[in-house]
Amino acid sequence: MLRSLGKFVLAGVAAVVLASTLPARAADDEVKIGLLFDVTGPVANFVPPMLDAAKLAIDQVNAQGGILGGKKLVSIVADTQGSPQVAVDAANKLVNAEKVSVVVGALLSGTTLASAQSVIIPAGVVQISPTATTPVLTGLKDNDWVFRVVPSDATQGPVLAKMLMDKGITRVALTYANNDYAVGIAGTFRDAYKKLGGTITADIRHEEKKSSYRTELAQLAKGKPQALVLIAFAGESGVTIVKEALEGAFFTQFIGTDGLRDKLLIDQIGGDNLKSALFTSPSAPPGTPSLEAFEKAYTAAYQTTKDKLFIQQVYDATFIAALAIEKAGSTDRAKIRDALRDVGSAGGEAVGPGDWKKAVDLIAAGKKITYVGAACPCQFDKNGDVAGTIGEFIIENGSYKQVGVVTP
Amino acid sequence: MDTGTILYLISLATMIGLYAILTLGLNLQWGFAGLFNAGIAGFFAVGAYTTSILTTPVTPDHLGGFSLPVPLGILAGVLLSALLGYAVARICLRLKSDYLAIATIGIAEILRLVLKNESWMTNGSRGIAGIPRPFEGMAQPWGELSFLAVVTATVILLYLVIERAWHSPWGRTLRAIRENDEAAEAAGKDVIAYRAQVFALGSAVMGLAGGLMAHYLKFIGPEATEPILTTFLAWVMLIAGGSGNNRGAVLGAFVIWTIWSGTELLTQRLPPDWQTRSSYIRVFLIGLLLQIVLQRFSQGILPERPPQPKRSESPSKPG
Repeated sequence: MLRSLGKFVLAGVAAVVLASTLPARAADDEVKIGLLFDVTGPVANFVPPMLDAAKLAIDQVNAQGGILGGKKLVSIVADTQGSPQVAVDAANKLVNAEKVSVVVGALLSGTTLASAQSVIIPAGVVQISPTATTPVLTGLKDNDWVFRVVPSDATQGPVLAKMLMDKGITRVALTYANNDYAVGIAGTFRDAYKKLGGTITADIRHEEKKSSYRTELAQLAKGKPQALVLIAFAGESGVTIVKEALEGAFFTQFIGTDGLRDKLLIDQIGGDNLKSALFTSPSAPPGTPSLEAFEKAYTAAYQTTKDKLFIQQVYDATFIAALAIEKAGSTDRAKIRDALRDVGSAGGEAVGPGDWKKAVDLIAAGKKITYVGAACPCQFDKNGDVAGTIGEFIIENGSYKQVGVVTP
Repeated sequence: MDTGTILYLISLATMIGLYAILTLGLNLQWGFAGLFNAGIAGFFAVGAYTTSILTTPVTPDHLGGFSLPVPLGILAGVLLSALLGYAVARICLRLKSDYLAIATIGIAEILRLVLKNESWMTNGSRGIAGIPRPFEGMAQPWGELSFLAVVTATVILLYLVIERAWHSPWGRTLRAIRENDEAAEAAGKDVIAYRAQVFALGSAVMGLAGGLMAHYLKFIGPEATEPILTTFLAWVMLIAGGSGNNRGAVLGAFVIWTIWSGTELLTQRLPPDWQTRSSYIRVFLIGLLLQIVLQRFSQGILPERPPQPKRSESPSKPG
């Protein structure tokens, strides 16, 4: 009994030591933004450029005079590991232990919902998700704490359907991965496509990470569809499906969404085999000054923006969070929420990616600003959603090229 | 200590408590009866989804609308897990340990995939959101503290009940079966029946852990029932804490979850250039620390001590 008591005491001492490593940093010279990202887990290969995009925003703020009167803006990353349990734990670390002023995240819909309901809403802190597309977020009773800068699935599906019908692709086979991203878009796509008069000859949900999808492809190819609509992540199932479809001569034309629009696809399949492929992805209209400003800054820091998904959204979420903090004039969380609504609504002087000093000066002069983002007009509706624009992409010369915008 | 730090510690303690319940359930099966259940994820998932479906309001996304009170939902999850555990046991218990392990892995995956694919019932991979949490209407930190109190009380109650059972005739029979099942059978004990009982009880406790976890997270989806965060983690907690004994189960939950969560507090401090790598360094640290704990305490931090026979005071007389 005494020996086990000793070990409990040892564990207790270890806990106290651990607790003492909890941040005791004075918040005097720093303003903290929490990045609640799914760094390890199902979308791991998308994340490093996203972290760079967030870092770009923060570096720009610090290089152009700092925030709230010259203080340093600092980001703290917490990993959700792709699962709700760890997401709630990570959100707790950010919101309660590190006491960040704003949370940017999470990336997956499931982890966003868990952290929002379990930590963010009770604690009362702004959460801006760059990539969670679940329609559930729209109706969430969140006391206006939860926002996102990406349009909901309820938008992408109908847009994809319209693009196909407009191009005369009226007969397709549909397959989608069994995860919340793909199931969401597939659902809204299916309904919209049928309503527009399209025919889905085969409709198969597939499990990710399988080594072969020939059985699914054989079924999908029946009924003579014109193309295969493939809603999946390239690394988890998309590449394998496209490869086997080409090898088995099941399909020649592939249509995908942002999850498929990954450099991995071009590397593994080859641009020559994907000449007729089409992709839709949330983006800003090409040629908008915001997008170019972002591209220029990102390329200067990180060589290229090619084939890196959602970096625009992450940048926008981080930059608009910083703008909200500056507009609020303090790290008071409720004031930041009101300021975010102000910065994310029309009518003010336009401020774009990288225009930090301009924004600070305007705010100091008492003027209203409106943030125009790299990938969204970033004007929040009453639910904290954005309308967004969906871009159309093809593969040209071994990389993705945006050729237009699909209007709903 | 300010509210924020208190809230973080409360959340840490709540997770530890929830995993302690899961590990106690596992110890019922492993410690009492020597059954290697590698399918914890399945029973956890059944408990979690049952209560989620029963306590959420009407929605087109999944089966629901019963809006039952939380305790009833959890109870239903416990009963369903127990039933499933009993059914699995009757099917699989004739198998020897390794085969039982593989069979239970398979069953857990079947359960998880059924739950993931029957989207009319569970909303599939999109999960069930808006699960009510007891005491959520209360101001911070009292709501969280109350929930922690419920979890702690559950852990203590379970511990006391299980310890009492261990020292009962039923417990002694199970120990005999675990040590030498052929001898126990020769002594007239229905080995399969005893094992099935204990397996069902263990599964019930796992269902309890799942149900409480679902209410705590207010969301359940396939990622929450991943084997690594349920099966693997509970096993590591039990082995590291002290395989076969209940104090070890609770201590293991404490140590391992603290390692799992606390390592990030360290890697968060790395300079910004390391941000893309810090999360992977954290995962590596978890593995390293697990190795260290398991190597240093190869019998578990609290090794099992079989109850000592009572010694008489005078030396035994011949005859």
